[in-house]
Amino acid sequence: MSEKLKQLYQELILQHHRHPVHFEKREDAGAVIEAYNPICGDRFQLYLDMADEKIARISFYGYGCAISKAATSVLVSQMDGQGVIQAAQTIERFLHALQSTEENPILENELAAFLPARQFPERMQCVTLSWEALKTFLAGY
Amino acid sequence: MAVAVHEKKQVLDMAALRKDFPILERPMNGRPMVFLDSAASSQKPISVLQTLDHYYRHTHANVHRGVYQLSQEATDAFEAARRTIARFIHAPTDKEVLFVRGTTEGINLVASSYGRSFLQPGDEILISTMEHHSNIVPWQMIAEQMGARIKVWPITPAGELIWEAADELMGPKVKIVAITHISNALGTINPVKDIIELAHSRGIPVLLDGAQAIPHLKVDVQALDVDFYTFSGHKMFGPTGIGILYGKEKWLDQMPPYHGGGEMIERVTFEKTTYNELPHKFEAGTPDISGAVGLAAAVDYMESIGHEAIGQHEHALLEYATEQLLGIDGLRIIGTAAQKASVISFMVEGLHPYDIGALLDKMGIAVRTGHHCTQPLMDWYGIPGTVRASFAFYNSFEDVERLVEGVKRAVQMLA
Ligand SMILES: Cc1ncc(COP(=O)(O)O)c(C=O)c1O
Repeated sequence: MSEKLKQLYQELILQHHRHPVHFEKREDAGAVIEAYNPICGDRFQLYLDMADEKIARISFYGYGCAISKAATSVLVSQMDGQGVIQAAQTIERFLHALQSTEENPILENELAAFLPARQFPERMQCVTLSWEALKTFLAGY
Repeated sequence: MAVAVHEKKQVLDMAALRKDFPILERPMNGRPMVFLDSAASSQKPISVLQTLDHYYRHTHANVHRGVYQLSQEATDAFEAARRTIARFIHAPTDKEVLFVRGTTEGINLVASSYGRSFLQPGDEILISTMEHHSNIVPWQMIAEQMGARIKVWPITPAGELIWEAADELMGPKVKIVAITHISNALGTINPVKDIIELAHSRGIPVLLDGAQAIPHLKVDVQALDVDFYTFSGHKMFGPTGIGILYGKEKWLDQMPPYHGGGEMIERVTFEKTTYNELPHKFEAGTPDISGAVGLAAAVDYMESIGHEAIGQHEHALLEYATEQLLGIDGLRIIGTAAQKASVISFMVEGLHPYDIGALLDKMGIAVRTGHHCTQPLMDWYGIPGTVRASFAFYNSFEDVERLVEGVKRAVQMLA
């Protein structure tokens, strides 16, 4: 198997895929956001409680490939407890780094784990699916 | 428990045969390529490539138009191709063999043209749960336009039509039955002869989507007594952009043209146009001449190998691959009909088809992942998609072994 692919499926990502963070459905959530990719069928729901301009609680549930599931898991772990503005900035920083050709953009380790996806343009949507959905939600909040 | 290994019965000279397909020799991601996506589109033998090259180097001009020699030669090549294909599917006359872009266009043509002439508000169109989107959406479009309704023939968990439902489904309002001959997602071979017999006993015509059948089986439109049969050249070792719609003259005569333009007319004035006779009535504009000629070369190639040998080899591959794949923990095959073509859809417990496909790709193995343009079928199974390995006669037992090995490695890595 190629080194490039091993980087895409690195241990941190596989860990999140096997043991996702806050992986639970919630009937009583204040807001439910759907992240759906009709091309591959991946579909996640993000469950949020917003309070005091903050993401007071966030969890997710759904089905997707290892990359999209791990990216959603990392999103949830990063966003838990963050202020709306700070959360939007983190998302922006992450999406921007994925677009850039810079070799080592400054990112938290969990986020940097997804940079090898830049070598796999067809997998980029797997990484950004839930991030884009939350970005849209926060922009309208 | 020891698993009996299926006999790797070798009926074809694989080494020689694979040389006819130069693309199979190219490496992929550092490994010899294993191409297991022929159900999406097949590879082309050298004879087809050479025919296309020769046609453009020596014979090309527009057809049915020029008084000059070259145009006549191009027309002859084009019409000879039609006769070759008519013979291949045993059509009674080449007037009933229309060149279209592919299966999708064939179905759209019938849905639109038959639909406009024969559908009334309240009428029904019978399709099945396992249809490709191209045998669903065109019918929905015409149904909406004409006030008709789609009815869906249900299937068993194994992926077979529930035969007991047929009687009630083919009620007096059904004006056409449109069913796939072989399912691209499950591999099921449908009992099309019985379906046609039953439909005809009630005066209902039948369209068969032959996209997946034509690369594998001998199709005889007269023996089937089918009303419409359509398929794509690119899935039967021919070029892209060309396909066939066979239609019985009695229907085609009663149907209005699909597209308007040159070639399909007899006489045009600004007030009124009269249409050309069959098959030209349905072939507006400059056709895909090279595609037609290339498709005839693909027919010749398939016949040189022979349907019987193709069927035996593919069946042996199917049995071997099924048995070997089922030896993998957590692997489940979707589509376990008694009659199957060499298509295997599968899932592995806890793993996403996309991840398996991506890892296999990096090992040089090309499979299809996803819903295979059969979303209603995937919804019915309650799954987002599958990994699909489809085998053509140029695939070998080693290809199967590479696949099985690859899936095992992917599972190890992901689970
Ligand atoms: C069963 C079936 N029907 C129709 C089609 C559509 O064929 P085409 O895209 O060549 O028009 C396909 C191809 O994917 C198919 O497998």
